[in-house]
Amino acid sequence: MAEAFKKSLNLHGVACPLNFVKTKLALEELAAGELLEVILDEGDAMLNVPRSVKEEGHKIVKVTPEGETFKVLIEKGV
Amino acid sequence: MSTPQFDLAAYKKVGMIQQKQKEYFAMRLHAVGGDFSAEQLQKVAEVARKYGQGQVHLSTRQGIEIHYVHYTKLEEARQALEKAGIAMGACGPRIRIVVACPGGSTCRWGTIDTKKISHELDQKYFRQDTPHKFKIAVTGCPHNCAKATENDLGIMGGILPAWRQESCTHCDLCINTCPTGAIDKRDGEYRLDETKCIYCSICTSNCPNDSWVIAQQGYILWIGGTMGKLPRLATRLRNLIETEAELYRMVEKVVEYYRKNGRKRERFGHMIDRLGEAVVKEELLNG
Repeated sequence: MAEAFKKSLNLHGVACPLNFVKTKLALEELAAGELLEVILDEGDAMLNVPRSVKEEGHKIVKVTPEGETFKVLIEKGV
Repeated sequence: MSTPQFDLAAYKKVGMIQQKQKEYFAMRLHAVGGDFSAEQLQKVAEVARKYGQGQVHLSTRQGIEIHYVHYTKLEEARQALEKAGIAMGACGPRIRIVVACPGGSTCRWGTIDTKKISHELDQKYFRQDTPHKFKIAVTGCPHNCAKATENDLGIMGGILPAWRQESCTHCDLCINTCPTGAIDKRDGEYRLDETKCIYCSICTSNCPNDSWVIAQQGYILWIGGTMGKLPRLATRLRNLIETEAELYRMVEKVVEYYRKNGRKRERFGHMIDRLGEAVVKEELLNG
């Protein structure tokens, strides 16, 4: 199932916690239920950003590895 | 000037160590998990100023040392510290201060009460004699910040996860963040390879739908880790011991085994290598 995302953000090379801050700001521009795609580095970024996203009430929809990065699809929460 | 006579062994036992400047001693203080109150730290500072050279040294194992205390002032300095509830430390062939991370008290990853465990172990074992130095560390989870695997005895919190199909939306976050690749997906179901799982709780903490849940929780016991001249990482003795009582029973068994089998000045890990890891594990687990 291909999900259509509203916005995409390449956070490759962006360190914690700035990667989450940028993710959060991007999510603020979306309406509830809309999708944001972020590219995250492996390691700390993948450990921290999805967790923070969860704590903020959003939802990880799909994670796909792409080399040293991951494509993470996030659904904005209400 | 004539060399003063000291009972160096008695001093050493309580962490008062003669410096190479023979009239001066380093005072090693007792600590549990590196916790000191602000009042205690103020007292340490005061004693360091009054009896030392106004300098303190932080040890590699969460301890505090006050250096350059003249031998004529040792007892006075010690009493001043003890009055403030700061006991002396330990040196030589005995059980040293217990190291611990903050664990479940403040850390989001901590799965055990490291403070409680380290205090219990401190009360029971601190400064007791062993064949060689014996170091204990308590770490809240497999991130291993307190380096349980570099200590003669390491206690590590951990959880065994289980997958709940009902709430899962198949986002694959678990597969992609499991540090050991213990999770994979077959026939539309996530599966955990327990031989690869390190009990770290990343999947249960991060799952967006709480579809990975804690199935079992407990203490992982590591034995025989050491740094020093002949470094050796610890051997995993037992996974997920479920009760505190069972943990303490195992710890007692380990310490007793070392006392019985360790040669003088032989670290626990080197004793394990001499006797054979399989033999030692068998005797500790089933002996």
